[in-house]
This record gives sequence, structure tokens and C-alpha cells, in this order.
Amino acid sequence: MKKSVRALILAAAALLVATSFFGCGSHQSSSSSTEPSKNASGLANEPDVTFKDLQGKDVPLASYKGKVVLVNFWGTWCAPCRGEIPILIDLQDKYSGQGFTLLGVATNDQADVVTPFVHNTKFAVGGQSVTMNYPIVMGNDDIDTKFGGLIGMPTSFLISRDGKIVKRYIGALANSTQIEKDIQSQL
Amino acid sequence: MSISKSVRYLIALCALVFMAGQTRNTITPAQESTPIHSGADVVTTHPYVSLDPVPRGKEFQVAVVVDINHAYHMNSHKPLDSYLIPTTLTPQLPNGFKLVEAVYPSGQDKKFPFSPDKPLNVYSGNVTLRLRLTAENTAALGATSLPLTLRYQACNESACLPPVKVPVKVDVKVAAAGAEGHSVHPEIFKASK
Repeated sequence: MKKSVRALILAAAALLVATSFFGCGSHQSSSSSTEPSKNASGLANEPDVTFKDLQGKDVPLASYKGKVVLVNFWGTWCAPCRGEIPILIDLQDKYSGQGFTLLGVATNDQADVVTPFVHNTKFAVGGQSVTMNYPIVMGNDDIDTKFGGLIGMPTSFLISRDGKIVKRYIGALANSTQIEKDIQSQL
Repeated sequence: MSISKSVRYLIALCALVFMAGQTRNTITPAQESTPIHSGADVVTTHPYVSLDPVPRGKEFQVAVVVDINHAYHMNSHKPLDSYLIPTTLTPQLPNGFKLVEAVYPSGQDKKFPFSPDKPLNVYSGNVTLRLRLTAENTAALGATSLPLTLRYQACNESACLPPVKVPVKVDVKVAAAGAEGHSVHPEIFKASK
């Protein structure tokens, strides 16, 4: 009896592990061949993506190699995304002179909506009213996939000088304490 | 290993493997056990018709009760800022049906951690959206489906999901003009004009 129970447990465990790792689960991506390679933290290793800027010109992420980059996926329609923009403006102010840049990726948005927003919308930062001070590019589903898939906005990825994702932040930043530590550790 | 220990071990193992699979590319709110993979996962819809059957020439209503995942809210039909995407219910009516009016409830003004000073006007919990419709004399007799599209954009306390369009199908039965249409689901339609 004991042996049969053990055998049953082993068989069930093997089936569950196989299901988990080989894509039989209902939540597995149907396009596993396009999924990026992932590091030990489950993050995409080094996304090979080319964005379009607001004028439609190509902006390869690789063109930022040598800099620490915080890639921030956001949308003009997204209230929490707007809520954290003052923190992002402040980060760009503080660290852009030290080999850091923010890169805003407008998602589920249109360039003709994003452009006036970027140029005209003012945010209160350090007692001043300022517009966004970092480059903005347009996102799409393919780019989302290459970053490992996005669900909620905002989502940000900290990328090291050699182009590798080192940390992901899901949801609006309440303050800059942790992210500043993370940025400083990469500079 | 005793049988009861074995069973406990198996249950724990199953739970761990299941959770490992679920945490990939999902938002799992702290207080919520069902992972959310897209905006479409945030709501369940329940359509109702006010009359059975619907006589030709008569006004009737369709209601869609929207159950919203308790960790989420969606913008109301009249959000306080123009950049926010409103909730809408849009019918794609077949010939012989006419939209009289879409009736949306008021939202609630709520503040969130990402907008501590300025409230947002939102729906949460469950909300009933209604359409006043007329079956005209050209409406096909018998059973018909009315396709509707629910569009909304949902957020939790810290993040938003992209806007989605969810199809909703409502089945109605059309009868000849002058037939008796019985009121059904009065609990849903009692607030109707």
C-alpha cells in the first residue's frame, strides 16, 4: 500500500513538473519561439528591440549601450503612469550627467496623442512646473514580448551599461528611494 | 512516510508547482487569489432582457451586470479627466432594432495612492449598464442575438491594464406586434425609466 502511494505521488509530481516546464499549462505563451531568453530572476536577458521615436525614426535599444537605462512603459491613458512622471523627471535631472537615462515607451497609445502630451503637459517637480525631460518612443506588442511580456502599466526595467535587464518594477513608484539605490549601484 | 503525510506532501507540492506557473506574467493582487492576465480577466458580464418575448413595436431594455474583480476599478462612463478612457456599452444591432438610449450609472469619486489629491470617478464591485431599445416592425420574429461591446480600462491600486473591448451577446425573442411581453428580471430593471 505504502509503495503504491509513493509511486502515485512520484508520478503526479513528475506530471506536474512536466506540465509546468513544457508549456501544457493554460497560461503559457503560444509563441514560445519568440520568447526572449531569461536570466535567473526570470527577466528577459537582453531585449533586442528597435523602437520608433515620435517622428517615426528607428531607435535601437542597443544604441544606449554604455549607459544605465530605465525603460519605463507608460501610457497617456494611465493615471498611475502619470502619477510617477514627476519622480522620473527628477531621476533624469539627477543622474543623466552620470551615464544614466530614462527612456519612456508609450504603450497602447498614438504618436499624435503622445507628442502634444510630452510637449505641453506640466508636472510639479521640486517646486517648478516642468515638462517631461527624457526621450519618448512608441511601444508595440512585439516590444512588450521581447521584454518578457507586460501586463500592468507602468512597468519599468533597469538596464545595465552592457544592455542587460537587472530589475523590473511593476506599478507606480511611490517614491524614488529604492530605485535611486538601484540606479546608483549600476553607475 | 504515512499515507496522511504523503497526501499532505503531494498537496503542498501541487500548490507550489501551480503557484510557480501562475506567477509568470500575471498581476496577482495581494488580496486576490485569481491572477489577472489581461483587462478582459477583470470582469464577468451577465446580460438580461426586460421582456420575454419582445413584441414588435415595443420598447424594451437590455441590462449588462458587470462584476468587477474586487482588487480593481474601472473608469466610469464620465471620468473626471478627458484623458481617461470611459466605460461604454455599444450595441451592434441587427436590422429591425433601434437604440433609444444608453443608461450608465454614476461612478464614485475615489482617491488612490497614485492620485492622492485628485479623485477619479470609477466603477467598482458590480455595476449595471442598460440600453433602451425598440424592436421595430421589421425585426425578425423568433430568437435573435444582439451583439454588444463593453469597452473599459481597469486599474488596481498601483497599475493599470490596457483598455479592452469585451463582446457580450444578448439573446432576445421577438413576437408579433400586440403579443404580450412578460416583464422578467424586475430586480434588474426596477430602476428603469
